[in-house]
Amino acid sequence: MTDHTIQQPVGGQDFEAEGLSVEPISQWDLFRARFGRHRLAMVSAFILFIIVFAAVFADVLPLADPTADFVDADGRPLVRAAPRADFIFGTDTIGRDVLSRVIYGSRASLIVAGVTGLGVAFFGTIIGAVAGYYGGAIDQVLMRFTDLILSLPLLPVAIVAAAVFGGGLWTLALLLGFLLWGTLARIVRAEFLSLREKEFVEAARAAGARDRRIIFRHVLPNAMSPIIVQSTLIVGTAIILEAALSFLGFGVQPPTPSWGAMVSDGAQLWVSAGTWWLVIFPGLALIITVLSVNFLGDGLRDALDPTQTIERR
Amino acid sequence: MFNYIIRRIVYGVVTLIALSIIVFSLLQMSGGGPLNRLKSNPRITQEYIADIEEFYGLNEPAWVQYRIWATNYVQGEWGISFQGTQPVFEIIKSRTGATLRLMLTALFLAVMIGVPFGIYQALRQYSFFDQLGTTVSFVTFSTPIFLIAIGMQIMFAVYLERWTGVKFLYTGGMNVPGYNDLGTLARFGDTVQHLILPAVAIALISIAVYARFQRASMLEVYHSDYLRTAKAKGLPRRRVIFKHALRNALIPIVTLISLDIAALIGGAIITETIFSWPGLGRQYINAIGTLDYPMIMAIVMALGIGVVVMNLIADIAYGFLDPRVRYD
Repeated sequence: MTDHTIQQPVGGQDFEAEGLSVEPISQWDLFRARFGRHRLAMVSAFILFIIVFAAVFADVLPLADPTADFVDADGRPLVRAAPRADFIFGTDTIGRDVLSRVIYGSRASLIVAGVTGLGVAFFGTIIGAVAGYYGGAIDQVLMRFTDLILSLPLLPVAIVAAAVFGGGLWTLALLLGFLLWGTLARIVRAEFLSLREKEFVEAARAAGARDRRIIFRHVLPNAMSPIIVQSTLIVGTAIILEAALSFLGFGVQPPTPSWGAMVSDGAQLWVSAGTWWLVIFPGLALIITVLSVNFLGDGLRDALDPTQTIERR
Repeated sequence: MFNYIIRRIVYGVVTLIALSIIVFSLLQMSGGGPLNRLKSNPRITQEYIADIEEFYGLNEPAWVQYRIWATNYVQGEWGISFQGTQPVFEIIKSRTGATLRLMLTALFLAVMIGVPFGIYQALRQYSFFDQLGTTVSFVTFSTPIFLIAIGMQIMFAVYLERWTGVKFLYTGGMNVPGYNDLGTLARFGDTVQHLILPAVAIALISIAVYARFQRASMLEVYHSDYLRTAKAKGLPRRRVIFKHALRNALIPIVTLISLDIAALIGGAIITETIFSWPGLGRQYINAIGTLDYPMIMAIVMALGIGVVVMNLIADIAYGFLDPRVRYD
């Protein structure tokens, strides 16, 4: 079986004569086919692409300066202008362009959530892998620590930490990452616990592979699916948490625009001044982004690990 | 069983100690401290600041401060709020009731709506109702709670009153100022008018999560062998669902609720702020704004105890509900 000729089964069936393909199907092909079936996930991936594109190229796009205070023809500040042709999302309470602020505001969300997601994927995987692969005392210590982090009341601790360390984007990502890696570590550990007993790991060990090689070359690739899915879901959680912290005033600090803070500023004015556009647009941006991330995670789960889906019974 | 409960209680206590150390050290790391304002005022003498530090014990090294705080805390001496002179214990006591009222109502709504919703979805799998429900829950738990709360406040408290001219629901507070002069029925009505919006705002996300989870749990049981047996021997559908399926399908939700308590607390902090609800959450935000150390510590511990106790109850309850669970 070293060459790629297909052995003729007993009975001498000819696959190609029956129109059946003997082309090998790669994992990537399978993934693409399954992911493509999940229409919402495809749409979400496209929307996310646009959001990331707009965030990256905000400086190049024909947008107003998000910190500029606009003035109308009479030389008066153009405050709280309702959406109209030149300001399609309106202007805020000191005359800044809301459209531009919503687009620039995506940077705060995306940077914090993206860095949190990557950080969690990296450290959660390493901690879970070490605990699951080595077991014993290392496992005990690491998992007790994980349990401890997971049993902390998330938002109260995040609020104190954000209030103390200030609302820099990297600071926020760091502290959210520290609070959120626990679930992933647990999942990776469970994967490693079962995978390390498999024959191919035994074979690798018998062939003289060192622990590090077994972990990264043999076991980890087989545990990638849940890592990717869980990290995507963490990104969604991180966007919501960042927005909540900014809403409460402990997250991203002005003048950096952020969706949570924009909603907070706008909500107080909606009742008194009817400025619905100050809440609706950043709020919608927030919902659409989180929804896309979560649908993407859902689609990835379906595509990467069909056994996990409860929907297909 | 007994050993298991003891061990879980020990874990809970360790978690609370870790929580207090983490929050205490975080507060110590904050750039200035609660006396920043006094210190930046040049007309206030150093002696006065030293006196204040002495009075609140802020001149001691951090670990000594923690030791003093911890010894006092377990003895019920929770200190005096930096803002004013009220003992922290009294403030916590008066505010816990408000938070409990809000959270228990939200939890009640979430369980009573979310669970039947999920069961019904599972029984009508792939129907229009099921598909709609799945989509709506997905959108709901992808929405930050502050957007839900603000949306409800503006729609059902502000605009509903503007359009109808009748005040159905309030935008904030727990009761009207003249509450004590009202009759029993009016009191109840007033309480509901204030409670319903923030409680539903907190509950909505949990309703979505519970419905999704309950649907999956019900489907799993519904396709199991013992249920096929029950159906095959000709039991009426109602009996199959209520006597056989539900008993097992409802067990996992217990774990979910205990895991959800932390999320409910987070939701309560945000919602209390939006609806000016006089509970622990809003007090917490205020205390952090002014770096009121004793107050922050006391509230964090109260919330932490809430989470730990609920987790403990759920773990023990699970053992009673599912006889396959063995404690050793």
